[in-house]
Amino acid sequence: MRKFILALIALVFSMSVFAHGPTPQKVQESITVNIPPAKAWSVVKNFTDFNKIMKTRSFDDEIMKIKYEMLKKDGPFSDYNAYIIVKKGANDNESVIQWTARFYRTYKLNPPIPEGQDDATAVAAVKKIVEPGLVSLKKALQSK
Amino acid sequence: MINRNKKIIVILLISFLLSLIYFYSNHHKSNPKAYITNQGNNTVSVVDLIALEVIKTIKVGIAPLGITILNKKNLAFIGNVGTDDISVIDTRTDQIIKTIKLNTAPLSITSNPDESKVYVTDWFKNNVLIISVDEMKVIESIKVGKTPSGITFNEKYNYLIITNRDSNTMEVYKENKLINSLSTGKHPFGVHTKGQYAYTANVYDDSITIINLEDWTTKIIKVGAHPYNILTHQNLGFVTNTVDDSLSIIDLKIGKEIKQIYTGETPENLDVHRKLNLLVVTNWGSDSISVYSLKNLKLIKEIKTGAQSRSFGEFILQ
Repeated sequence: MRKFILALIALVFSMSVFAHGPTPQKVQESITVNIPPAKAWSVVKNFTDFNKIMKTRSFDDEIMKIKYEMLKKDGPFSDYNAYIIVKKGANDNESVIQWTARFYRTYKLNPPIPEGQDDATAVAAVKKIVEPGLVSLKKALQSK
Repeated sequence: MINRNKKIIVILLISFLLSLIYFYSNHHKSNPKAYITNQGNNTVSVVDLIALEVIKTIKVGIAPLGITILNKKNLAFIGNVGTDDISVIDTRTDQIIKTIKLNTAPLSITSNPDESKVYVTDWFKNNVLIISVDEMKVIESIKVGKTPSGITFNEKYNYLIITNRDSNTMEVYKENKLINSLSTGKHPFGVHTKGQYAYTANVYDDSITIINLEDWTTKIIKVGAHPYNILTHQNLGFVTNTVDDSLSIIDLKIGKEIKQIYTGETPENLDVHRKLNLLVVTNWGSDSISVYSLKNLKLIKEIKTGAQSRSFGEFILQ
């Protein structure tokens, strides 16, 4: 138990050390679907569920990439930019949909960092957008 | 006959010795290399710019970001924002020879032309720390404006130049005294200088500001989305557009963007190898670097590095 507590203290300490500095955070998740890339791309490109929270910045048909920015600040993170890219899967009928988000924590001044405004909170909040987002995208793709 | 044989042996011996010396000196002369700080996994990737591959991965402090190369002294200074220190790498052996404690987060790094001093921006406390390269320790600190971000040294005027991200200014120091503060676009981050000009990349304005250091006039040029850093080479300017995944190419004579070329995901920083005519861009999003030919601006190779490659500053050993 004592070892566990010491390990926990060490972990918390190392995380707070890591939280120093203006470091952009990255969340990158992907899913595999049994649909050819060109078809998956036509769905991803027109997927309107995201439009409630994000604005399409640009899309590129050639490399099958769509970029979003956050419409309004809607969580404990800032400067959120993300892109979704459709890549070839293991065979012609499979695609990998990858979502990458780049953002910062909300507190950008001198440490100590107030609770709830740190890197870990920002990462957790963005994961709550990306993970269910990919699940609903997968549903939309498989219903086609 | 015996004499002749002796002569041949002597000549052979001498040429053998000469080739040994030649081999030895070449062996100890470093190949052109790029040093890539990988903020996501606390390493530096060493990339051989002739073989175009990663030849070594060096474990440094936590969250390395800023970098500068001292070409004459064969040193690379790496700023670790997570451990508040600087890892000094000997570029001949690619090993860490010293860790300099700072007690503050080092954001960007540069050196003076004779490489006796290294300057580090202290993001949180608004200072520039001065490190003596001989002593390998901080010897002085200058109070500067808010959120010092980029830093560079102008050889022509002996100016130390920094950007202040949150006050939208570029400050110019001479012999540690502020001599001018100029307005830039919004959120200036990277800064570059050559000859009579300084250049800032203004993240929120999608623009760069060109500052004439002779008469202090400024000019703004529109580029792609969220530009992060800028570099000039001959008559061209190169700007990393982080959100567009592209480089803006600027014709400095006419003062306009002439085209954009694709990079990897979220390009951040860039440097050139002058003799090899290479332009190298770090791609934070795709954990890689893109190597271009400066002759035709075509991509030669994209090379995988560690996670979240950044290299904010000069990162190529010439």
